[in-house]
Amino acid sequence: MLRSYLPALVFLAIGGILALVFTYANTLLGPTPRKTVKATYEPYESGLPSEVKRTFRFGISFYMIAMLFLLFDVEVIFLFPVAVKLREFGTFAMYEAITFIGLLAVAFVYVWRRGALSWR
Amino acid sequence: MSIEWYLVVSAMIFCIGAGGVITRRSPLVTLLCLELMLNAGNLALIAFSRMWGNAEGQVFAIIVMVVAACEVCVGLGVIVAMYRRRLPIDVDDMRELHG
Amino acid sequence: MIAATGPHIDVEALSPLLALTGGGLVVLLVGLLRPRVVREVLVPLLALASLAAALGLAIWQWDADEEIIAGALRVDTLALAFTAFVIVAAAITVLLSWRAVAPREAAHGEYYAMLLVSAAGMSVLVQAQNLVSLFIGFELLSVPLYVLCASEMRRSSSLEAGLKYLIIGSVGSATLLYGLALIYGATGRTDFAAIADALNSVGGPVSDPLFLTGLALSVVGLAFKVSVAPFHQWTPDAYEGAPTPVTAFMATATKVAALGVIIRFFDVALINAQPDWAPALAALATITIVVGNVGAIGQTSVKRLLAWSSVAQAGYMLAGIVVGTQHGIEAVAFYLAAYLVMNMAAFAVVVARARETGLGDAIEALEGIGQSKPLLAWPMTIAMLGLAGIPGTAGFIGKFFLIDGAVDGDYAWLGIVIVVGSAVSLVYYLKVVAAMWMRPAPRSVPVLAGGAVDDPPADAPAGPRAAGGEVTLVAVGCAAGPVVFGVLPGPLFDIARDAAAAMSHLF
Repeated sequence: MLRSYLPALVFLAIGGILALVFTYANTLLGPTPRKTVKATYEPYESGLPSEVKRTFRFGISFYMIAMLFLLFDVEVIFLFPVAVKLREFGTFAMYEAITFIGLLAVAFVYVWRRGALSWR
Repeated sequence: MSIEWYLVVSAMIFCIGAGGVITRRSPLVTLLCLELMLNAGNLALIAFSRMWGNAEGQVFAIIVMVVAACEVCVGLGVIVAMYRRRLPIDVDDMRELHG
Repeated sequence: MIAATGPHIDVEALSPLLALTGGGLVVLLVGLLRPRVVREVLVPLLALASLAAALGLAIWQWDADEEIIAGALRVDTLALAFTAFVIVAAAITVLLSWRAVAPREAAHGEYYAMLLVSAAGMSVLVQAQNLVSLFIGFELLSVPLYVLCASEMRRSSSLEAGLKYLIIGSVGSATLLYGLALIYGATGRTDFAAIADALNSVGGPVSDPLFLTGLALSVVGLAFKVSVAPFHQWTPDAYEGAPTPVTAFMATATKVAALGVIIRFFDVALINAQPDWAPALAALATITIVVGNVGAIGQTSVKRLLAWSSVAQAGYMLAGIVVGTQHGIEAVAFYLAAYLVMNMAAFAVVVARARETGLGDAIEALEGIGQSKPLLAWPMTIAMLGLAGIPGTAGFIGKFFLIDGAVDGDYAWLGIVIVVGSAVSLVYYLKVVAAMWMRPAPRSVPVLAGGAVDDPPADAPAGPRAAGGEVTLVAVGCAAGPVVFGVLPGPLFDIARDAAAAMSHLF
């Protein structure tokens, strides 16, 4: 009976080890900065300020990237039904998926060449 | 659980969204309320799909999710363009087109 | 495991749609190339080529009558005729946009690709045979149009029009979606034919409150999209703020597509519930005719005037759908074609005068062009008289068919409303005609290059410039349509009859 909890235990152990590795691998492997800036002590060095003031505003670039992420992220939903029923539909589903990914690739090339991915 | 409860919840979400679109002034909140309205439709579709035991409603709901994302992106894009031009981001202040 | 097979994809029947979407992709990618000549000449030419290909393929498929992609779309003469109308409108829009400000600001590739995708959405819409494809078609039509509306990014009124159209259009979509969800809930199917069967069955859901609520919400959602009163308030604002070629496209092609889908939705899926929706639709048509014609009277901007007039015209055409007969659909198809060319002629003149005078779309820009610019004055005159329904133009014949259809379908009072509405509409249509022929050109208006404009509207383009030959060509070409079909309605009438014959279950 207790054996059925074994996977959960293994999962917990792996999770804990991973957390420790991620926390300390940086200090072991990463370069040590010569001088520390204010952001070094923030939880997320390259993200938003951890303490958001009332007057804080997002830069426009955040919105641009967020919009593009939203679009590409949500479109992947169409691959889900294909993945579920791939075996039953066989090559037809594969062709459909390839066409769809090709269309996404066109969108990606367009977004990239228009420079919407470069951070301003 | 019977289908009525799902429908009641979805109708309430739809009304909250519609009310928000009418009363809120910020276009961002208006977009949020539009999402509520669309997702109320989604909830109803999924509930009916379960009730009838066919997948047509689920297929519809998946498509609606993508459509909603597209609408919001275009909306955000227009708002960003207005912000860059330092236009008032307030629906009530848009008086240039007297309507 | 059940061996499922994918739906059969009939590439031939799908070809007009493929030409439009494929053209959109190609235009989008070619628009990325650097050289100026590629962007300003090659891109619009490619857009025109893909439209021409789509038109050719639609004519090639003319007599088709089949359901494709597992019953999602239906390709028949009605769908192909309406697709052809949309393609013609899109091609004219490309010509009007050739030297316009909007494509330059929005990047040429993007602008024309949006136009093509929107046309593809309209084509999906008029072929829709399923609630899902109906919704996809509507969104594929609307979302590019929101972008196109806002495409003159340096002009604040364009952005404002885009945002207003987006918000109100999305409210319409959400309402429509909720209505469709309830109809699906009441009948259990999304397929139009299956819905019709479910409604026809004994003890069916025709009087089920769930179904009736869904029907009401769908009508409201569709009314938002077609700008039927009392859901029309966004129309004048969006039409005025949008770049004029885009306005022309919205006023014509969107109406074609929306009326096309209303025909399919109501006269195929919901035909057995006709006693439920016909009175509601007739009431909406009446309100629309009254509100549109009254609203147009006081307008000083030609674009706003045409916006209100398009509201009224949508009301006339709804009358042909209310009766639910082949005769009514025939009249709608005929009138749509006439309406399309007349409006395009009017918008071409507005584009030309806005470029020549710097007065924008005010009626003053048209004053006195009867003497100085007969090539612009005559098309506008014909368009205005045609829209008012003066005998000798296709507008008169179209209205005659509509009234005939209404009387035939026991809606004689709706015919009377159309007549009264047309009489009222003469007030504002003739105001435009009088401005062109009976008033002198105002002195402050520089006719062509140079000259100071007294008080240019804030949003007017930088300065007066030549209108461009292609705009005059569009104006004259489109104005020839109502005259030719007014005298010889035969060919257009045949098209309309073929289209209506596709709805063979009606009588």
